[in-house]
Formats: sequence, C-alpha cells, structure tokens
Amino acid sequence: MVATTKAIGVDGPLFKRALLGSLSWLASNHEEVNRLNVFPVPDGDTGTNMLLTLQSAVEDVKESNAAEVSKIAKLASHGSLMGARGNSGVILSQIFRGFARAVEGRSSLTPAELAAAFEEAANAAYRAVNKPTEGTILTVAREAGRAAATAAAAPDATVPRVIAAAAAGARSAVQKTPSQLQILRDAGVVDAGGFGLQLILEGMLKSVEESEPAFTAIEAKKPVIPAAQIALDLPEGGWGYCTEFLIEGNNLDTELIRDQIEALGNSVLVVGEPELVKVHVHTDDPTRVINLANGYGKLLKLNVGDMSTQHRRILETEGGQPVAPRPNGVGIVAVVAGRGLVDIFRGLGIDAIIEGGQTMNPSTQDMLNAIESLPYDEVILLPNNRNVIPAAKQVVGLTKKKVHLVETRSVPQGVSAVVAFRPDRSGDENVRAMKAEADRVQTIEVTHAIRDTRSNGVKVRKGDVIGLINNKLEFAGADYAQVVKQALGKLGPDSYELVTVYRGEQASDAEMATLESEIRSQYPGLEVEVQQGGQQHYPFILSVE
Amino acid sequence: MTQKFAVVTDSTADLPDEWRSRYGIEVVPLKVLFGTETFRDGVDMTNEQFFARLATATSLPTTSAPSPGEFAEVYERLARDHDGCVSIHIGAQLSATAEAARVGASSVDGFKVEVIDSQTVSMPVAFLCRVAAECDTLDAAVAAVTQRLPNTRVLALLDTLRYLEMGGRLNRAQAMIGTMLDLKPLLLVAGAEIKPVDRVRTRSRAIGRMVEFFRNDLPVETLAVMHAQAPDEADEIAARLRKELPDMEVPVGQIGCVLGTHTGPKTLGLVYLKK
Repeated sequence: MVATTKAIGVDGPLFKRALLGSLSWLASNHEEVNRLNVFPVPDGDTGTNMLLTLQSAVEDVKESNAAEVSKIAKLASHGSLMGARGNSGVILSQIFRGFARAVEGRSSLTPAELAAAFEEAANAAYRAVNKPTEGTILTVAREAGRAAATAAAAPDATVPRVIAAAAAGARSAVQKTPSQLQILRDAGVVDAGGFGLQLILEGMLKSVEESEPAFTAIEAKKPVIPAAQIALDLPEGGWGYCTEFLIEGNNLDTELIRDQIEALGNSVLVVGEPELVKVHVHTDDPTRVINLANGYGKLLKLNVGDMSTQHRRILETEGGQPVAPRPNGVGIVAVVAGRGLVDIFRGLGIDAIIEGGQTMNPSTQDMLNAIESLPYDEVILLPNNRNVIPAAKQVVGLTKKKVHLVETRSVPQGVSAVVAFRPDRSGDENVRAMKAEADRVQTIEVTHAIRDTRSNGVKVRKGDVIGLINNKLEFAGADYAQVVKQALGKLGPDSYELVTVYRGEQASDAEMATLESEIRSQYPGLEVEVQQGGQQHYPFILSVE
Repeated sequence: MTQKFAVVTDSTADLPDEWRSRYGIEVVPLKVLFGTETFRDGVDMTNEQFFARLATATSLPTTSAPSPGEFAEVYERLARDHDGCVSIHIGAQLSATAEAARVGASSVDGFKVEVIDSQTVSMPVAFLCRVAAECDTLDAAVAAVTQRLPNTRVLALLDTLRYLEMGGRLNRAQAMIGTMLDLKPLLLVAGAEIKPVDRVRTRSRAIGRMVEFFRNDLPVETLAVMHAQAPDEADEIAARLRKELPDMEVPVGQIGCVLGTHTGPKTLGLVYLKK
C-alpha cells in the first residue's frame, strides 16, 4: 500500500542525523546502562562499551555528506566494527552491519524499507552469535524490528512512526527480559545491552522528530574516557611517522591504495568504501604518502605523529630494549592492566601490550593496531578477560596477518598460555600448547560485590568479599582469607602444587601477609608465590595449578 | 697391535667409582672455593659436605679449572707406563678445563695426548670415557669419541636459575625466562650449546616434560639420571624409565661439587647419548 501523501524517506542526511541523535542520547544515559550490570563484580561496563562502539560508528559518518542512506549505513557499519568493545558492542556492530547490507544501493528508504532493514539488522545479529540467548539485546533487536514492521504496514505509516514503534517495541522487550533470563531475575535488573539498544532507537526518534540535531550537545557530552594505551616494542630504527587520514573520492579502490601504501611503510591499514577510505601507515616519509593519497581525492582528518618520539618515550618508561625477531616469526599481543602484571607479561616475552581488561575493554581497533604494529605476519592474541573476547574475535578477519586468538579468560590463563610459548615452535603448535596450558590452570578472583544480588545460588550483599572460580561466583564472605580458603577447598588442594597470588592495588600489606600465611597453614602441601599484579578492582587474583 | 693408552677426564664427568676402577680412568679435580678456602672436587670434599656448606654459605662459592701444571703432572706420570692418552673434558663453552689440559699436554714431551672438548658436561663425559676405554687403540678411541660428540644430551631441570646466573653461565633474556615469575626452566646441553627447551611453572610438570622430551629423542645408546640433593625424584624417574626401556641400564648418579655450584641443589638431569 502506497501512502498518498508525500512522506519523508530515510536518506543519507536523515540517517546521519538519526545516528548523531542516538549517540547523544546514549551518551547522556550510558551510566544508567552501566548500573544494570548483572554480575556483582566491577565488570566491563555495557553502557560504556556500547557508547564507545557507537562513537566509533558515528566518527566517520560525521565527516560524510553522502546523500545516500546506503553510504552512511556503510560507514556506520565499518566504524562500529572497528570500534566494537565488549559483547554488546560487538552485537551492536553486527546490527549495523545487517542494516547496511539491507539498505545497500538505496539512496532513500520508505517506511516499509526502513522496517525491513531493522528486521534484517536483528537477523544479522542473531546469525553472528554462536548460541543466541533470549532476553538479551538480540531479543530486543528482533522485537524492535517486528514492531517497526507492524507500524510500517499501517496505511498512514511514516518514518518517525516506524522509528517510534521500533523504540516502543524495544522498550517493552527490555521490560520482559527478566522473565526470559534467570540471572536478570535474580539480580533484579533488565538486560543492559537491550536497554542500550532501546536508548539508541529512542535517540534516533528524538532527532528525527526534532527539527535540528543537537550537534553542539554531542560534542559537549562526549564522555572523557582515556583511550586504551598501547605500549610497543618498536624496532630499533623506529618507524618514523604514524600517518592517518581519510580519502574522500569516487570509485576508490582500497586494494590498489593498500598495495601502494604498503610499499611506503609498515602497519598499513586501508579500509573503507569506494567513497571514503581510511588510511593508517607507519612511514619514514609521510609526504610521499600524502602526495600519493592526494591523487585519489580529498584528504580529511590528516594526522601525522612522530613515532620515534613515542618510541623513545616508551623505551624510557618501560626500560625495555628492542628485541631480535623470533625464529618462528610469531608475535604475541596481550590485553593486560596493572603495572605489575604488565611487567610480568613483558618479562615472559610479550611483544605488545594493550592496556585494558576488566573495566576498560579495549576496542577491536586497539587490538588491531597492536597487531599491525608488530614486525610479524603471524600473531597470537591473548584477551585475558572474558569481556574482551568478543571484540578480540572481530580482529581475526580484519587484517592480512594471520591472527590466532587464544581465548584466555583470566590473568592466570594468560600467564599459563605465555609460559607455554616457545620461539622455536610454529604458530599452530604454539597455539595448541598454549590453549592446553590455559585450560589446565584454575583461576580464583577475589573482589567486592558492587551491589546486592544473587548469582549462581550465592546470596551477596553490597560490599561483601566475593570469590569467583573460573569466572563463576562461588563464595561470599567477610574477609579475603576466608573466601580464598573456601575456594581452594572447593578446587581440592590435593590436586594442585602451586598457588600464585597476584596482589591487586587495593590489597594492603597486612591483608597480603594474612592471606599468604593462612593459605600456608591451611594447605601446607601447596607452594605459594606472591606477585605484585597491581590490578584494579580485584585485590587478589590467584592462579592454582 | 694393541697399544697401552690411558683415559683421563675431570671431576665434572661425574664418573662412577666403579667405572673408574674397572677402566683405570684418571680423574683430575676441578676446584671449589668458599672464600679463600679451596677444595678439590670429590677429593677434599664429598657431595654431601658440599651441599651442606652451600646451604649455610653467606656468599656463593666459585669454581676453577685445574691448572695446566696439574694436567702436566698427570700426563707425566702416565707417560711412564703408557704409549699415550685421550683426555676428555667438560665442554669449552662451560669451563677452561680442556684448554688447561691442552696447555699442560704441550709441556710434556714424547707422550701423545689427545685432548677432546666433549662439548658437554656430567655423565655423558663419563659415557665417552667408557667408549674410549673399551677401544683397542688410541686412534680408535679418539675416532669413537669424536663420532659421538654430536650425540651427547644433557637435559637439566633446575629448581632455580639463581646459581647458573650468578656463575655467569646463563642469560635470562636469552633463556626466555622472565625475571618476575618463578619458572622452572628445562635446559638442554647439546652440541656446545645451552638452550632452554621448555619452561613450566611447577616441578612435577617440569619432570614430566623432561621425560617427554627424552622419549622423543629415543633410541639412545646410554642414559643415566643425575641429581643434586634430589635422590627420591631421581630414583622415581629411573624406575619409570626402566619400566619403559627394560633392555636399558638406567644408573642414577650424583652431580658433583663444581657442577653443583652452578646448578644449585634439587637439580635433576636426564643425560644420554643418542644413537
């Protein structure tokens, strides 16, 4: 059925406005999303992760004046993929991807086409997840799509009505999530990722309804979050200048540009669409790179940084020294947070460390940069945290390099994996050995509950000391030693030889001493080694092997 | 035509007493120095006395090779009733002993001394001495030993790297052994090279890796299990190997004072000649 009045369609500028609106709305409300954390541990915050992912989605969109919705959607899809953080961030990137696919080649969408694109976006997200779980962002995306489709079928359907229906559908789906997921019910919250998606749709609706998008408000509200820092061991000669820009043009051939840029430097990243290509290269001669790129189109957001200065700074701060390349040509990159842990991983031979972890999940882009910066074509990536794994998975397909993801879910798993690395063994052999070692070690994490909840049958009050075994909440109590002893008892100390305690920032000398002596007296058969981890949020992380 | 030739080695060969008397092998001692006190390895000090003293020493002992003069004395004595000798010593990458032997030999006229740098350490040197002693001529002995030099293997599991590092025999960065975590490195001495073959966090797993590495190196001509103050674990490994290799002799030997200075206590070794 065709609407008789001339309704607005979703073209490039409108979709851009909608995206900016959703960013603004999510930025104002992401703390609300963070508070919905199911797990009573200081966790990779869903709201922050979604916000950072959306920011990355919108980053290139802001620069584009494309008239076609398909081009804006493509940029958003690509940007979100590069910036994806955390599980919900990754799913969000898949939603954008599905949307972009659905609108490919379209300059403008009718209400019905918009609804169909919403539905396809949800389907794409379902397909991207191994075991889709109902009561999550996936369900919310699907319900939003259904509601949009229903609204689009009405004879008086308009774009704002379809978006309004999608937002309303999302809202009601979010409210139902506790009835679908036991953990949400126990914790007394709705699903955080789903709520984040609801906010994104609401933000779109606001911007489409309003006459003017709130550009200035977006800039002002941009949350100040330190970008994950990458510390690298660079080759002795340095890599000159980190050169980054966008090329805006017509029929740009990313492959061709990549080939030409690759001749001029290292760590080359050339991605994008025929109209807009993002270039990143470490080169000694930025002028040549820029001249070359100028031949293709207009350069935007040009940024040239002197890497040698960074290099020196890193060497000074890390006290590191350039290392000779390994015989097997395999590099290792790990996500690590905490001064002591960074030193431990470095000491074990890690080539690049991406700082991040529990609360600051690094983005796909951060990991990609670290991988691209290494002088190796084959790289092993260790996320060392459950929440980092989803973004880490995305990296694998984004580079020409062969990336092996060893899905380490904790610091002890990461340490065990690195210990098993041997420079004289091939990448595949190393990966096999590293996975086996990571699976062998048991992890005990000790922290404080950030609120009342019930999880895995354990009742927890805010502030309690809680003990997790292999990421699962097992014990709650009043003091560290008690909880650790219970956890060791549950693992069965007779089956193990060595306990390594990684002491976090919050643990005092007295608490450390008490914990150590209590483990020794209760379990005299276990060897105890104490290491300064310096990690935040977890006073103690224990590796049991 | 049989020749009467002698076999000479040094105290780091960990030569079993029984072989020493059966084959009449000469052992020149290296020295351990606790401060200004000097002890001849295996002569002035037993292994037990050494490790007892090591445990209470405020500073680590140092070691030194025999002097060329000490070698010359031995060769001169042997010259009286032998046509020549083969002198097989600890690898030159680890000690100046073979060099001292060569200099000592050059000062003894009219007596043929074939000095061989074994490129290895501990009982594999003793294995080579036995190979030499069972030959009929000096030339045959030199050939038989030289032919086996690439086949010697010492797998060493140290409880700590402290001693090896203090003695300047190992560079941690080279050994891919981090400075923070207490790792159990499994080291391999083969072909004049010391290299780490694995690193593990716990001792029992390290022992497992050592045995596994050995299995992948089968078949072997001779083997032994060595230890410094870890007799129970050494016996256990030997028993395991005897079961797996019923036709092989698996002796258990002790690491002497000079080697012990560099390995520290609780060291385990699986040593062998590859076939």
